[in-house]
Amino acid sequence: MAYDLDVARMKALSPSPLGAPSASGSPAPEPSRPVIKLDHLSKSFGTFQALQDINLSVLQGDVLAIIGPSGSGKSTLLRCINWLEPANSGRITVGDLSLDCSKPVGKEQITTLRRQLGMVFQSFNLFPHMTVLRNVSLAQERTLGRSRREADEVSMGLLERVGLADKAHQYPVRCSGGQQQRIAIARALALDPKVMLFDEPTSALDPELGLEVLAVMRELASSGMTMIVVTHEMGFAENVSEHTMIMADGQILEYGPSREVIRNPQTERARRFLRAVNDR
Amino acid sequence: MDILDSLLMGVTWADVQSWLPGFWNGFIISLEVTAASLALGIPMGFLLALGVQSRRKVLRLASLALVEIGRGAPALVLLQLVYFGLPSAGLSLSAFLAAVVAISWNTGAYTSEIIRAGLDAVPAGQREASHALGLSALDELRFVILPQGLRIAVPALMGFAILVFQGTSLCFAIALPEIVSRAYDIGSMYFYYFPALAVAGLFFAAVCIPASFLVGWIEHRAGAYARR
Repeated sequence: MAYDLDVARMKALSPSPLGAPSASGSPAPEPSRPVIKLDHLSKSFGTFQALQDINLSVLQGDVLAIIGPSGSGKSTLLRCINWLEPANSGRITVGDLSLDCSKPVGKEQITTLRRQLGMVFQSFNLFPHMTVLRNVSLAQERTLGRSRREADEVSMGLLERVGLADKAHQYPVRCSGGQQQRIAIARALALDPKVMLFDEPTSALDPELGLEVLAVMRELASSGMTMIVVTHEMGFAENVSEHTMIMADGQILEYGPSREVIRNPQTERARRFLRAVNDR
Repeated sequence: MDILDSLLMGVTWADVQSWLPGFWNGFIISLEVTAASLALGIPMGFLLALGVQSRRKVLRLASLALVEIGRGAPALVLLQLVYFGLPSAGLSLSAFLAAVVAISWNTGAYTSEIIRAGLDAVPAGQREASHALGLSALDELRFVILPQGLRIAVPALMGFAILVFQGTSLCFAIALPEIVSRAYDIGSMYFYYFPALAVAGLFFAAVCIPASFLVGWIEHRAGAYARR
């Protein structure tokens, strides 16, 4: 399949999954250490246990796909990582920042955490009253303190990268869903995040528009961005992400190299889920 | 025609013309009360809208009390409370000032609910996106929530402004010489109640009907950025 070939080429460009020194003469990448580490993370809504004792680490440059039935806690996990939902217990470590979720955490620390994480939502959540350019520039000015000119320059570069520089002065409603999601990706990238979090980025899009978003995400992966992607796109999980995690009932069912997890799941629950996906 | 004749009581055009300067002065007073009440009341409504959602209990309860009394009590009661009631607490206000205070209070209370509803109508995803981008609470309000929430609230606020203008007619009860007081004076002097009140009504209609059309047009325009 042409699609597979393309991905294979992309993969060749991307850093190796474990961050081991590459064979080429490029400067040795720093020794692999987790960019994101979750220890015993738990979250409940009332009596409903949404996440149970999640332990996970994601290495620099790694792309992790999280799949699983709805209600399994995938989105909640992402939302806990950037504190949109405060977890009840456990520890979140992003770069040098380590937060204990069972203790009260100050606003500044939450902001510091969020500035290292780029978030892309299922429903894009662009600001409809601002032009595309303002959407991408606003947070750079307000949270990074860049000047308007600097911010706009960065924004134009990013819009170029997602193929939408010509939309800079339009309003988001003038853009298709796929374009809006690519703008949302540019907006998240504008803050130079250490990790990009994607919460079902293509679920609200028809298959064709989804493809253009996936293409941008593939390019991002091949550029070495660390990514956690909650998705139902098995092709992306299998071919682009190094690791795949299957969740159910707030727990990690399976975790490992994508191909192994998807082709050869160990648990009956995971097999059932993957059968349902493949029968589609 | 008999009924109309008996209602008009033989009032001539010359009579009406002789009333017009008085009505005009009353009209100006009504407009002044409206403008002052909106200029004070809408910012107050904005602060109250934020106040009732405040995390500080004292602020929240104080805001809630102002809103609930301002909305719960009829405007006529508020007017008389301020004009006739406050002097016993040592604070005597002119009829004009009393009218502005009472109607501002009323405006603040009602518009706080309109503004709160507008802010609440901004989709939750907008707040989440602001949080995810690390915007401060103030920046989120200033750049994301207010521009969208106020745009939602503007047509309702303008509709309420029309009601405020009509509400100034209650000021006849505290002897403020606005439009209805003028009509009342003419009525009690010559028994020309119907014709005088009809003219007063025309003054209100001349403002309110075009204003309603304007609100409709702005409502249409305000939603423009959300349409393809």
